[in-house]
Amino acid sequence: MITFENVTKFYPPNTNALDNFSLEIKPGEFLSVVGQSGTGKTTMVKLLIGEEKATKGKILVGDWDITNVRPREIPYLRRQIGVIFQDFKLLPAKTLFENVAFAMQVCGHIPSKINLVVPQVLKLVGLEKKIWRYPNEVSGGEQQRAVIARALVHHPKILLADEPTGNLDSINAADIINLLEKINKFGTTVILVTHNKEIVNSLRRRVVTIDAGRVISDQKIGKYIL
Amino acid sequence: MILLSIARVLKFALQDFGRNFWVSLVTVTILVLSLFSVNFLVVVDYISQQAIKSVEEKIDLSLYLNADAAEEDISALKRELESVAGVVEVSYVSKAQALESFQSKNRDNQSLQEALREVGKNPLNPSLVVQAKELADYETVINSLDKLSKHTVIESKNFDDHRNLLQSMNTITARTRQIMLLVSFIFIAVTVLVVFNAVRIAIYTHRKEIGVMKLVGASNWFIRAPFLAEAILYSFLGVIAVIAIFYPFIHLLQPYLGSFLNTASVDLVGYFNGHFIIIFGVEFLGASLINIIASSIAVGKYVKV
Ligand SMILES: Nc1ncnc2c1ncn2[C@@H]1O[C@H](COP(=O)(O)OP(=O)(O)O)[C@@H](O)[C@H]1O
Ligand SMILES: [Mg+2]
Repeated sequence: MITFENVTKFYPPNTNALDNFSLEIKPGEFLSVVGQSGTGKTTMVKLLIGEEKATKGKILVGDWDITNVRPREIPYLRRQIGVIFQDFKLLPAKTLFENVAFAMQVCGHIPSKINLVVPQVLKLVGLEKKIWRYPNEVSGGEQQRAVIARALVHHPKILLADEPTGNLDSINAADIINLLEKINKFGTTVILVTHNKEIVNSLRRRVVTIDAGRVISDQKIGKYIL
Repeated sequence: MILLSIARVLKFALQDFGRNFWVSLVTVTILVLSLFSVNFLVVVDYISQQAIKSVEEKIDLSLYLNADAAEEDISALKRELESVAGVVEVSYVSKAQALESFQSKNRDNQSLQEALREVGKNPLNPSLVVQAKELADYETVINSLDKLSKHTVIESKNFDDHRNLLQSMNTITARTRQIMLLVSFIFIAVTVLVVFNAVRIAIYTHRKEIGVMKLVGASNWFIRAPFLAEAILYSFLGVIAVIAIFYPFIHLLQPYLGSFLNTASVDLVGYFNGHFIIIFGVEFLGASLINIIASSIAVGKYVKV
């Protein structure tokens, strides 16, 4: 599904955020990526969504070589890869419904489809009773769920979650992880970037540990080893 | 599908306009000032054209011929004149035509009419009237006429006293054009800066939306188009506003111009009415083009993929 082949990402003046980084992710996997701050996890996410370009190496998504993806192809890449960040990136002046609908509007979907899909994905993340609330009228966990709902409108094959629980208390964090597992069960490949030891240990899934831009450990049923 | 996207782009553009209302207002105001000055230049150009025309009407390059000149001598001279560089037309005014126009010009002058009757016969000479292509050509034409070989049929020439007037008219016209170009250039530059800034602010205000759009895979044109549409919207509102302001202005100006130029042929309002589509259409297209360029630069600089 995703292949990194000896990828190096150099940031001027002197940082190799990824350094000869190789990783293979199979379809339907639930992969946790752990590592200390500044080791290149977010850089990996940014390379996958075309926000940054690799300095060396090769990146494949499916059989699509995105190493040198062209600017006008990037939107299509991003419709196949849903992304969630730690900061929620919801628009404060729009309701949860409107926030999710916005993602479909700007990609040219017709209103009847929007009105069908938006309630579905909001129900999937358990927000069916709060779709007309504004982001500041719901909890942090619920905001993050709305973001996940928004990432699901294009039925992405891959969901990237970069520290999705970083701003949440442990109960809300557990809810989000449960939701990611549920999405994974429907067949979506999930890549979870996290710091959170308890979460990683309770998942009992594949764990890849990164240090200084390299994979230093890759375990089938992993533990947080740092 | 495409129509739907265009409708959404327009909606976003209108929202942008409303959300940064004061910036939009200032931008349109500057645009109106620019357009006003451009229209003022159109007025200046029109007035100088009319002034030149009124001078041209007064210029009379006439070669008065002997009353008994032979037909073939006259037509030979006419051909020679027609071959002079800068001459468009040479017309023959016969004795009878000269008298007719003299009488109609001096219809109210009783004593002249009286004197004419006392002479009993037509005292006027036939003449050849030379017309040059442009005001600027008159001088060279006059110089050529001066050098004309001595024709026995020519009795006298009448044109010397216009040279100074022509020269200064030419200088004034050229100067006016230069100033017009400079002023237009300055205003275009200011407009580019102001529109660039307005779009920059709009992009800044919408950085969150833009970030989300990119994240969820909106196409690049969809992200950029609202800012270009906004640029066209500015032009449209600017032209509408300048039409609303300029007509009262020329209505006020009109009476002063008539007396200043001392001709009845100045009709500014009529001129603008007659050229409405071309003047304001070109201004709209020009302003849109300039605004789109300014907007594209801002978008290219501040909306990264
Ligand atoms: N745009 C950038 N310019 C320069 N250096 C950067 C940039 N982005 C990240 N880095 C550096 O690259 C390294 C990896 O960053 P990042 O991938 O964000 O780490 P993580 O997500 O694991 O905390 C860090 O040393 C960071 O300072
Ligand atoms: Mg990070």
